[in-house]
Amino acid sequence: MLLRVKDIANLAPDIWQITLSGDFPYKTVKPGQFIMIRIGSGKEHVLRRPISIAAVTEQSLTIVLRVVGRGTKWLSERCIGDLLDVLGPLGRGFPSPPQDAKVLIVGGGLGVPPLWLLGETIQAEADEVDVVLGFRSQRDCILTDEFSRLGHLVVTTDDGSFGIKGNVIEAVDSLRRSGHSWEYVYACGPLPMLRNLKRYFSNQDVKGYVSLEEHMACGVGACHGCVCLSEDRSLTRRICVNGPVFPWNEVCL
Amino acid sequence: MSYPDLSVKIAGLHLRNPVIPASGCFGFGREYAQFYPLNQLGAVAVKATTLKPRIGNPTPRVTEVCGGMLNAIGLANPGVDYVVRYELPWLANQDVPIIVNVAGETKAEYVEVVRRVCASGLAAAIELNVSCPNVAAGGMTFGVDPNILQDLVAAVKEVCTVPLFVKLSPNVTDIRESALAAQAGGADGLTLINTLLGMQIDIYRRRPVLANKTGGLSGPAIKPIAVRMVYEVASVVDIPIIGMGGIFTGEDAVEFIMAGASAVMVGTANFTNPLACPQIIGEIEEFMRKQGIRSLVEIRGCIG
Repeated sequence: MLLRVKDIANLAPDIWQITLSGDFPYKTVKPGQFIMIRIGSGKEHVLRRPISIAAVTEQSLTIVLRVVGRGTKWLSERCIGDLLDVLGPLGRGFPSPPQDAKVLIVGGGLGVPPLWLLGETIQAEADEVDVVLGFRSQRDCILTDEFSRLGHLVVTTDDGSFGIKGNVIEAVDSLRRSGHSWEYVYACGPLPMLRNLKRYFSNQDVKGYVSLEEHMACGVGACHGCVCLSEDRSLTRRICVNGPVFPWNEVCL
Repeated sequence: MSYPDLSVKIAGLHLRNPVIPASGCFGFGREYAQFYPLNQLGAVAVKATTLKPRIGNPTPRVTEVCGGMLNAIGLANPGVDYVVRYELPWLANQDVPIIVNVAGETKAEYVEVVRRVCASGLAAAIELNVSCPNVAAGGMTFGVDPNILQDLVAAVKEVCTVPLFVKLSPNVTDIRESALAAQAGGADGLTLINTLLGMQIDIYRRRPVLANKTGGLSGPAIKPIAVRMVYEVASVVDIPIIGMGGIFTGEDAVEFIMAGASAVMVGTANFTNPLACPQIIGEIEEFMRKQGIRSLVEIRGCIG
């Protein structure tokens, strides 16, 4: 389907927020789902780019992307009014926690945007939401104002230029030592962060969900390009259709 | 003026039109049935199946390059017994002929997989995959030596109860030698080309993008090579050809038919546009109508 660029803004170096409007099943979008966007005519760039949905209203959806190559560069150069060929919403998103659950949301870098929609969705139901977001540096920080409205927010930066100096695991640990506890943990970010988080909670009675990313081709489960290994490494799971969100005890991180 | 006739007869198969999603680019059909009824297609070529399940290569195993993509999936599939029991029956109910792509590491494995697929009664044809560039054993090694290829095709032909197509590798000096070897072994038809071996390097990380280092190049970038190879092969064999390589439009498909192909397969374009195959069928029909072509036989191999 063709969606129109309603707004485009530069959030941080190389990071762009684009809001799209037009005919799209906005009401069916689950937090953690993604869209595949065609780049140009599709003949030079034959693969669509998978971008997670960061926010949705009844008439628009918002994505946040980092320019990492020629495709995302092209996306960052769109203007208000331009049309984008979009496939979606795709994939399985984050399951909602039960009423009054104690929830922790952990995001790293470009893993933060899909958690925004998750945070908004569960804010109403959850008892309390702790949010820990990690970035490299102050200039890379995004969506911190939005998250500060959703719950108790802790921001870390690798260089200490904003928030707490350190990584998200250290911040989670210090929250826990100060008395916080959680039944549900939702995370999206670099693989080492997800791996360490899963390990950190390995002996605790916590349900954890991680959103994974991988190079994708079809986005609909046909090509088997974007797979991850099951926890016991005996099977592959397709990130585009079996995920991108998985219970962390079902996948090998 | 009457509607043009898109139907084609190829190696005993009657297809309602010449457009077939290519193996590996369409799963076992289920994923694309949400976009259109699969009985719009000429046939469906399903993902390669092997004797035992395979999880494939490590990721990243797909990446984009200018005008195409590289893949190194590595023949990931759930194994022939699962495919025959759980995938093909569903697809067989979609009213579209099924071409089952078969791969193996040894001659005995190819023969056994073909035997089991034929025994299911669900395959309209077999496509022998002797051209996968992404596996250590088997795959392309069977397709690049004419003597080994002829011997393999002959062995498979003995147990194959449906038309047997052989998918040729372009990673050879002269693809006509492979084509003649497959024909001599008893192939009923040829499909070409499989992907061209390629590589992409991440210069910032100083390493190949694909975990497998190399992968198969597909997409518009390879189309002129594919058209040339279909033309070369058509000039030396007597068996029909299904052409493929970077077909994104009906006009692309017509090029292959004029080069000598009886039908075409569409691969990468399905990823760019899930509706690629039905659109290509419509564009072929429009081309025929505008050009006053009643049947594709009129233009097949017309460039001489």
